[in-house]
Amino acid sequence: MDARRRSPFTAAVTLVALVFLFLPLVLVVLFSFHKTGGLSFPFKGFSLRWYRDTFGSFEFREALKNSAVVAVCVSVATLVLGTLAAYGISRTTSRLRGPIGLLFFLPITLPGLFIGIAMLVAFRRVELQLSLVTVAIAHFVYVFPFFLLIAKATLDRLDPALEEAAADLGASPFRVFRKVTLPQIWPILVGATSLAFALSFDEFIITFFVIGSDSTLPMYIWSSLRRTIDPSINVISTMLMLITLLLWVLAFVFTLRAGRGRARAVEPILGGEEV
Amino acid sequence: MSDRLVLEEITHRYGREVALDGVSLAIEEGELVTLLGPSGCGKTTLLRIVAGFVRPSEGRVLLEGRDVTRAAPYRRPVNMVFQRSTLFPHLDVFENVAFGLRIAGVPRGEVGGRVADALALVRLHGFERRRAHELSGGQLQRVALARALVNRPKVLLLDEPLSALDLKIRLEMEAELRRVHRETGATFVYVTHDQREALALSDRIVVINEGRVEQIGTPDEIYRAPASVFAARFVGDANVIPVEVVGADGASVTVVAGDLRLAIRRPDGLGRGPAWLVVRPQLVRLAQNGDAGVPGVVRDLAFRGTGFSYRVDVPGLPDPVKAEMSAESAPPVDVGSDVRVSWDPAACRLLPWEPGDG
Amino acid sequence: MSVVAHEAKESAWRSRELRLGPLALTLPAVLGLIVFFLAPLAAFVLYSFLTAGLFSVSGPLTLDAYRQAVSSGVNGTLAVNSFVVGICAASVTLAVSLPIAYWLRYAAGRWQTLVLFLITSTLFASYLVRIYAWRSILGENGLLNSGLERLGLIDEPLSFLLYNRFSVTVALVHIFLPYVVLVLYAGLQPLTPALLESAEDLGANAWKRWRRVILPLVAAPAATAFLFVFVLSAADYVTPQFLGGTNGAMLGVRVQAAMTGVGDWPLGAALSLLMLAAFVLCYGLTALGLRLLRLDRIRFVT
Repeated sequence: MDARRRSPFTAAVTLVALVFLFLPLVLVVLFSFHKTGGLSFPFKGFSLRWYRDTFGSFEFREALKNSAVVAVCVSVATLVLGTLAAYGISRTTSRLRGPIGLLFFLPITLPGLFIGIAMLVAFRRVELQLSLVTVAIAHFVYVFPFFLLIAKATLDRLDPALEEAAADLGASPFRVFRKVTLPQIWPILVGATSLAFALSFDEFIITFFVIGSDSTLPMYIWSSLRRTIDPSINVISTMLMLITLLLWVLAFVFTLRAGRGRARAVEPILGGEEV
Repeated sequence: MSDRLVLEEITHRYGREVALDGVSLAIEEGELVTLLGPSGCGKTTLLRIVAGFVRPSEGRVLLEGRDVTRAAPYRRPVNMVFQRSTLFPHLDVFENVAFGLRIAGVPRGEVGGRVADALALVRLHGFERRRAHELSGGQLQRVALARALVNRPKVLLLDEPLSALDLKIRLEMEAELRRVHRETGATFVYVTHDQREALALSDRIVVINEGRVEQIGTPDEIYRAPASVFAARFVGDANVIPVEVVGADGASVTVVAGDLRLAIRRPDGLGRGPAWLVVRPQLVRLAQNGDAGVPGVVRDLAFRGTGFSYRVDVPGLPDPVKAEMSAESAPPVDVGSDVRVSWDPAACRLLPWEPGDG
Repeated sequence: MSVVAHEAKESAWRSRELRLGPLALTLPAVLGLIVFFLAPLAAFVLYSFLTAGLFSVSGPLTLDAYRQAVSSGVNGTLAVNSFVVGICAASVTLAVSLPIAYWLRYAAGRWQTLVLFLITSTLFASYLVRIYAWRSILGENGLLNSGLERLGLIDEPLSFLLYNRFSVTVALVHIFLPYVVLVLYAGLQPLTPALLESAEDLGANAWKRWRRVILPLVAAPAATAFLFVFVLSAADYVTPQFLGGTNGAMLGVRVQAAMTGVGDWPLGAALSLLMLAAFVLCYGLTALGLRLLRLDRIRFVT
């Protein structure tokens, strides 16, 4: 069967778009190895010296550490609160479902600028010192809707008959969640958490307003950007891209696996509990 | 009657795989011709070649004498009804039916009238403002039919339009299709794997198997005189008994299989050797006493509303013989009973044995 | 189990839900968002009506901040710039994404998974890194100019590439393209190939299929994506800072300067709220437009 239409125009646009998307990033990675440190052609040779310099820099290591710590905290908080909230929203029949859903997804619709300055103002008002803690709070607000979107969509797609069957057989809601729901969704949850980590790790727009004297990796890049050409930016950029890329691949693999694994995960449960 | 549609030596390949092999066909104006065959036989590919979605590897498609083989679908005066509903969800029924007219630039005043006529034809007058999600399966296909016919296509193509519907709706829709065909006098090319549907609807049937035409004929012709074992098995139920032709005696031959020994009118070109004997179950008689035919044991019995279906084991024959008897003609025979199986020699057909026959 | 008994059990399970159950699970998140999101926003709205101090606010409610915001001619220019950049970024992104989404949905065949993965993987590239990359590429001594010079295509570096609205738009398109492609690709899912074949069968060539079938059916997701890019682009303050120069200066930078530079919070808040009001107006007009064209809630039949 002809499953595909031939469309040279759209194929060409796609190809050009892919080049447009990748070329700048590839060039950044390429020039992070540039011997002379200049950012123009010709490319004069490979060297790892900028990597050595960067990793030798104390500020860089601090910024990297801070970003990681914040991202871990944000991911954990998002995973726990997000999974609960997703389960609540998708399984409830209450009329509050609409307004609560609106509240949850509102942060995505607002530009980071507004969220950032609103939180800045609020933190100052309650005299909460700007620090990594305020950064973590801000990141949570920003990342939460993304996680919720994925988790809720997944829960909505589950077959309710399985949960009803388990409840029918006497399982409490908690057991139902643990034995029926969780085995089906955990790969997607891992993927979504990985996404949350990546989003927090890379966040700048809101962080700029609520950070105190500490530094995160994006902040470190920003301050480097304000100085003139500094080859270490290429290195840091490459590092940042690598870390977030790995997290994205992880998220992708887990959500793919979820699609295949779901059926397998449920069989042993069904086989044991249902005739 | 002239030829509306002619297919010349259509061959189509997907890589190494041959989907259609030298298919030739001439369809007259006003006919309803069905392409009948099992899944994957190439009938849908053939239909799509006529529609223009597939360009055949070899061969030509002639529409009223004009070669349209290379023409894009939107340039052909041919319209198609798809298997699943393809009504545009953003348009109501009226605008859906009017779609082709608007693209063709038909003047506004005329559009209204033609759409109304098309909807009246499929008996959906009053449904103009409805949307696709408000319609049942049968209604959706009726709108699709109206949407296609309103353009007055030279040929209307139907790709298994009823296969996604419930049985009862399907039977109603079959009657609707026959009526619409009669009232419009249009030329229909219908694709299905359901032989019952093909027999009920068609003026002529084209039996297709593995990309080749097995037989073309009226439903009656194919039913009574299948040209191949495949056609015999696929169209209507049949007993296909492997036999040996042992004697030729002028106009008749003698065939044997197990205890069976029959003299049958000799078909052209058939000599001694293996052959197939085709008998329709409706023509097989079961008698509980007497000497007619051969002895057998009833193995299975099913009630069919109009009568009974039997399967009878006959020694010497590889498969049970299928027989159908109406409820009025005789009381049912129990499973396990001995019966005599016979039929009128004039009522069966002899087909030559081909290598590759199953 | 008999039908009656089963239904009784089912409603018991359901009423357990209605009483307390699942909704309570959302409580921690709801509280968190109210405290850390709604409350700050409320405070922020309030601040726009207060008197400015240095990195603080005080005193009586006043409209001074708003007066200051709208009376400044510079703000007017910046607002226009932001609007133009937002529209351009959104338009270009949408215009490029439509063919890509079409290709992925209908013409990609076995390349689909790979290309989808490639496109989504560019989402991992950090926001700041992209800005840095484009600055490096478009500058007079940058990669594009030096490359063209080496190839002998130009004698002097092209100076119009950087520090203007063009470079800001390019970077923004680069940032938002993957999102919009994904949204449109998802939006095209319900449009089966058979639907398009039907349109073609009824006489529609490629352009007519786009105009009469694809665009109307994808209008709602496309409008959402357009607004998403427009709003986030117009409010951006980092991209114009590094790539905008004077020609490409935007209102977001002004807001940022007011908040963290000068310390005039009411002004920053007022400017932000005016921008927000403009965005809400855009959302409203778009929703209204979609509803008038009856393209807002299309129900597909499987």
